Formats: sequence, C-alpha cells, structure tokens
Amino acid sequence: MAPIIRTVGLRKVYVTGKERVAALDDVDLCIEKGEFCCIVGQSGSGKSTLLNQLAGLEKPTRGRVLIGRHEISAMTEDELAKFRQAHLGFIFQSYNLLPSMTAAENVALPLMFKGVPRAERLALATKELDRMGLTGRANHMPTAMSGGQQQRVGIARAFVTRPKVIFADEPTGNLDSVTSRQVLFRMLELSKTSGTTFVMVTHQPELAACADRIVTILDGRVQSDVVQPEPVKEKNRAALLASLEGNTEIGGDKASGRARQKTAAELAAYAKPDIRPPQE
Amino acid sequence: MKISDQISLAAKNLSRRKGRTALTVIGVVVGTCLIVVMISLGIAQNQANEEMLASWGDLTQIEVYNGGAVAVNGEQVKLDDAGLESIRAIDHVVTVTPFYQAYNLNGYVAAGRSDRYQITYLGQLVGLAPEALEPMGFTLLDGSWLEDSATYAKDTIPVLVCENTGYNFEDTRKSQNSQKRYRWQGMTDANGNPLEPFVDVNRDDMTLTLSALSDTGAEKTRTWKLKVVGTLASDYSKGWWTDSGIVVRLKDMKMLMKAYGDLTKDHSMTQTATYDQVYVKVDEVKNVEAVEQAIHDIGFTSTYSSTQQRDDMQKQVARSQMILGGLAAMSLFVSALNIMNTMTMAIYERTREIGIMKVLGCELGNIRRMFLMESGFIGLIGGLIGDAISLLVGWILNNISAILAVFGVGADVDLSGLMGGYYYYGGSSTAISIIPPWLLLGALAFATLIGLLSGVGPAGKAVKISALEAIRHE
Repeated sequence: MAPIIRTVGLRKVYVTGKERVAALDDVDLCIEKGEFCCIVGQSGSGKSTLLNQLAGLEKPTRGRVLIGRHEISAMTEDELAKFRQAHLGFIFQSYNLLPSMTAAENVALPLMFKGVPRAERLALATKELDRMGLTGRANHMPTAMSGGQQQRVGIARAFVTRPKVIFADEPTGNLDSVTSRQVLFRMLELSKTSGTTFVMVTHQPELAACADRIVTILDGRVQSDVVQPEPVKEKNRAALLASLEGNTEIGGDKASGRARQKTAAELAAYAKPDIRPPQE
Repeated sequence: MKISDQISLAAKNLSRRKGRTALTVIGVVVGTCLIVVMISLGIAQNQANEEMLASWGDLTQIEVYNGGAVAVNGEQVKLDDAGLESIRAIDHVVTVTPFYQAYNLNGYVAAGRSDRYQITYLGQLVGLAPEALEPMGFTLLDGSWLEDSATYAKDTIPVLVCENTGYNFEDTRKSQNSQKRYRWQGMTDANGNPLEPFVDVNRDDMTLTLSALSDTGAEKTRTWKLKVVGTLASDYSKGWWTDSGIVVRLKDMKMLMKAYGDLTKDHSMTQTATYDQVYVKVDEVKNVEAVEQAIHDIGFTSTYSSTQQRDDMQKQVARSQMILGGLAAMSLFVSALNIMNTMTMAIYERTREIGIMKVLGCELGNIRRMFLMESGFIGLIGGLIGDAISLLVGWILNNISAILAVFGVGADVDLSGLMGGYYYYGGSSTAISIIPPWLLLGALAFATLIGLLSGVGPAGKAVKISALEAIRHE
C-alpha cells in the first residue's frame, strides 16, 4: 500500500511572548491508504498540533505535509479550501454543528460548498443520516439532540462527500464511555467498508487499541509508531464489541453527551433496546 | 458554492436576529426617507417655479435691445440685419425676429362708412418677420400665416389680427368723454346683453392711414387697405399686444416707416436699418442661459430672459436642498455606522460558525460575499421601506389640506413655500412633493451601496478569522 499522508521533517514552533515552544519537532510520518490511525499522547504532547498540520489547518514552521501527491503545506488558503472540499472530512470533539441549521442541512454543508443543488444535497444528507441510524431526524435541530446523536450528524457530515481522508480530533472527548465506544465502532466500520483513511486523535487507550496504526507523541516527537498485528487489533475490536453487549446503536436517545462513567446498572439498562421518545 | 445558496444563507442569518436587523434597517429607512423627501420637495419647488416663470413669460424667449450694443474689438456692433444673422448663427437658436411697434407713426386704422370707426393709436401695429411667427410659438386661431412671398394688390397690406383687436375701434362720432365712444370686452348693454365691437375685423373692410402735418399746417395723408389673413391666439407670455394688436410683415412695417418719413420729410425718427428690439427663440429652456451669454459675447449686452430669475430660484431651492439633504445624508451616514456595528457584532458572534465553514471547505470569497450580501440586504430592505414611506409622506404632504379637513383642523394649509419658493397665484395648487421613478430607484441603489460599503470592513474581518482559533474547544 502507498502512503496517503506523509510528513517530512515537520516542525511547528509557537511563539508566545519571548518564549518559543516547539510543539512538533522533526516528525516524519507515513500513514497508509485506508488505514485507521490513532494519534495518542498526553495533554500538551502535540498530538492535536500534528492533526492540524496533517489536515492543513495550520502552516508548519518547517517541513512538508503531503496528502497523496499534493503538498498541502505549500497551498494557499483558497487552494486548501478547495482541497478540503474535494478530499477531506472532519469530525470534531465538540461536534461543531451549526445551531441554526437542521441535521440534514448541517450534513449537506460541505456539499453546498461544492455547489451541489439544494434538493440533491439534502437527499444525500438524509441518506447519510439514515446510514448513521438517524432516520426521521433529518429536520431536527442539533440543539435538540443528544451528544451521541450530534456526533453521528458530525460523522455523517464528514462522510457525505466520500472524502479520501477523515480527520477526527478527539471525537469521543465529549461522550460517555459507552457512546464513545459506539462512535469508534461506527467509524471503524465506515473505514473498513469504504476504504476511507481515518486519522483520529484520542487519549483513550482502549479506543486506540482498536486502530491499525497507533502513533504516540511525546513532547512534540514521535515516541512510537506501531502498526498493530492483525490478531491484536482483532482481539481488541472484539473486546470493544463485547463491552457494548451488541448495542452498537450509538447513544440511543437517552445519552446526555456528558462525559461520565455510567454505572453497571445504567450500562445494563442501556443494553436493552430503548424506544422512549427523545427527552432533552 | 451557488449564488442562490449564498443569498439564502445571508437572508437566513438576517432573519435569525430579527430584532437587531430591524433596528439597523430602521436607520437606513430614516436616512433614505429623509433624502427622498428632501429631493422630492426640491423637485416640486423647481417645477412650481418653472410654472410660475412660464406664466410670467416665454421661458425660451430672449429679448435683445439695441440700447445695450457695445463696441467689440473697436467696432460698434449694431442690432441690424447683420447683427440678427450673427445671433441666428448661435447654436440652439430656433429663430430671430425684430419686434417693431409703430408708436412713432401718426395715423389711424379705420373701418365703417366714412371711416366712422377708428383705431387712433398705431402702437397697436406690430411688425414681425413672418417666417418667425410659427417657430416663435404663436398659434393661429384661423386663417393662414403671413408670407413674405405672397403678393397683394397695390396699396394692400396683409395683416394678422388678434382675438380682441375689434375692441380697439372707437366711434369717432361720439365725444372723447362719452362712454359710447368705446367698447371693451365684457361690456353689456342696459339689458345685460354683451356688446360686440364696433368692427368685425374679419369681415369689415379696414384701411390704414398715415397722416403728417407739414410746417404750413396742411395735413398730408396716405392710405392702404388692410387684408386680414388670419387671427392669432392670445399668449400673454409673449406680450399683452397679442390680445388686441395687429401684426404686419416686417417689410410692410419698414415700408410704412419710410412712407411716414416721406410724408414728414424727416426720416430721423423712422430709420429702419437697426432694430430697437429683437426676439430670439431658443430650442430648450436649458440652453437659454448659454445663448444669452453668446449674445452678450457678440456685443449685445442688454437682454432679458426669464433665466435670470430661474437661476435665482433654482439656487435658492438648491441651497435649501443642500442643507436639508446634508442632514439626510448625515443620518444615512449614521445608519452606515450602524450597519458596520451590526455586521461586526454578527461576525464576532459567528466566529465559530465561520471557522467551521472554512474547515469544511468554504472558500474565502464565498465567506466575504455572504457577509457583503447580508449588509447589502440591510441597505436594500431599508431602501425599499424608505421608498415606500417616502411615497406615503409625499402623498400626505400633497393632500395635507384634505387630510386635516377630515380631522376638522383649519382647512387651508399652504406648504408650497417649504423649499423657499415664492408665493404666487395658483401656488398652493401645485404638488409639494414630486417623487419621480428615478429618485426611488436612485435612493434604493444608494441605500444598497451604503449597505455593501459598510459590509466591506466586517467581511474582510470575517475572511481573516483563523479557522483553527474559531473551532477550538470552548
């Protein structure tokens, strides 16, 4: 497999006052096409900075970032916008849905930027929401949705343009552990069925353990870059699925979106199908 | 990104914060409204002035007097045929004619048996160039125009009469002090029946007699027949003589002058080489000033036209318009600041949204256009409402008396002097506010432009927002 994302001597220095902080230092990284890659590390290790560099949201101080054959670190802002339209998807920790738009309109947003006519893009968005298990919620406002539901809208939005790479910055950071696992499971599924490359930043080791590749960042340097052997990640994924007790429908309608550990009783209740109407 | 999407996004964002949008729009409405109403008052005042001037005299007519002729380049210019031609050569001059009144001539116009009825003052006789009559704007009630080329029997002079020329005849059998000697328009007999003039100028034979007393006291006379070829309509803007004068061809007038000179053996009073007064007709009112100036440049400095008054009036209106329009512009300027403020606020509020859009691949131009559209919309909507309110205000001003009457308030309110106009007869009947379509469209375009311009700064700010900063976790 050919690398789809490559960095060469990537360095990012932040200047705050008189102090110069090297957030990234000499990062050489290769991510293969179709890989599910997790970037892990402690807070302040530079993992988010790395993701921003890979996605072209920030210019490197030195070094290059290539996606496919395109050197995104050398692109102008408008070229980057067009490139993102065409090839990249984003999932955020705080969902970043536009509160003034319905779920479907939010999902259709990247298509709007591409110039897809309204009716067509809304149809595509509704279909995408169906795939994410949000049938019938296309016209709901994000503020009336649970965290898990919002993040599913976010995933649908990232995926609707069928991008080559999806960047996810702590997508489960605002979710409870069950929903987190469900979201990860859904992303893994998408990655495998569509061949989309995922780059995800997380600090939850049990989630990272399911990835194809785990890049650990420490003090702005790559501490380890591990491609997990097939049996290991299979085992971890099976464990993840098992912990969900087969309940892969993200969040359900009750998930609050607040990051807290659920009690065993709650989890047990969760495993059963929940058909109560949404309550916010 | 499609333009329709940009428009609907902009509209949606405006309607999202209705209260603030409404307040901002009101600012534009007030500004637009003030400007439209001020300009409409000025237009109406100018039109009223124009009507008034038209009633004072023909606006496209310039009168040139020989008295004001000066020396140009050491050569005395004269209001003679050559001078006439030099005036005729000026651009926008339609026609030129000398204007002769035969007040120097002694004699009478007579009709009836034994010349019983007479016009005793020949000042009623007016000599004009026949070919100039129609271009000058005279109108014919019946008959035909005078023509230089037409030939008539010996000692016959073709004339145009006016509607009331007949009333100039006096009954010479009656005493000068007797009322019965005269007839005038509207005169009635004891029974209240209208009295016709002594002479029907269209039917009765008329003669013109010049008479001169020689040194020895003997009276010498010469007589011509008058042949009426047509009747002129009265037009007081061209002179009171159009009511009851007799128009003869210029060449006949010259002939009469010469004949009178022959009778008196004194040609000093009846020279025909130069003209005392010349009428110049200009094609349009707007060219009168330039033509008048050109006539001055030739050397005829004594002229009269309505332009002078017109200029004064327009200047006064323009002054009022400037002051009031300036205030209106000020309020529109304030509303521009308002729009800027609103847009800047909106951008701060939507920083995160803008960031998300950028990350999701919205191009910078689209973001800029979206905000420009929003501010442009504020201007456009304000302009539309402003136009509508202006029309309403204009209507109210124009019908103020009727409206107040409905509420039982004093009936006669005259606002016609609102722009510093002059009061004159018929003034109150004129519209106070006139709003032509170009004013509405202009105001709308101006308001929209103000909106767009106010949006330029904030939109630039929106474009500069760092996507990364904007989407950072809260």
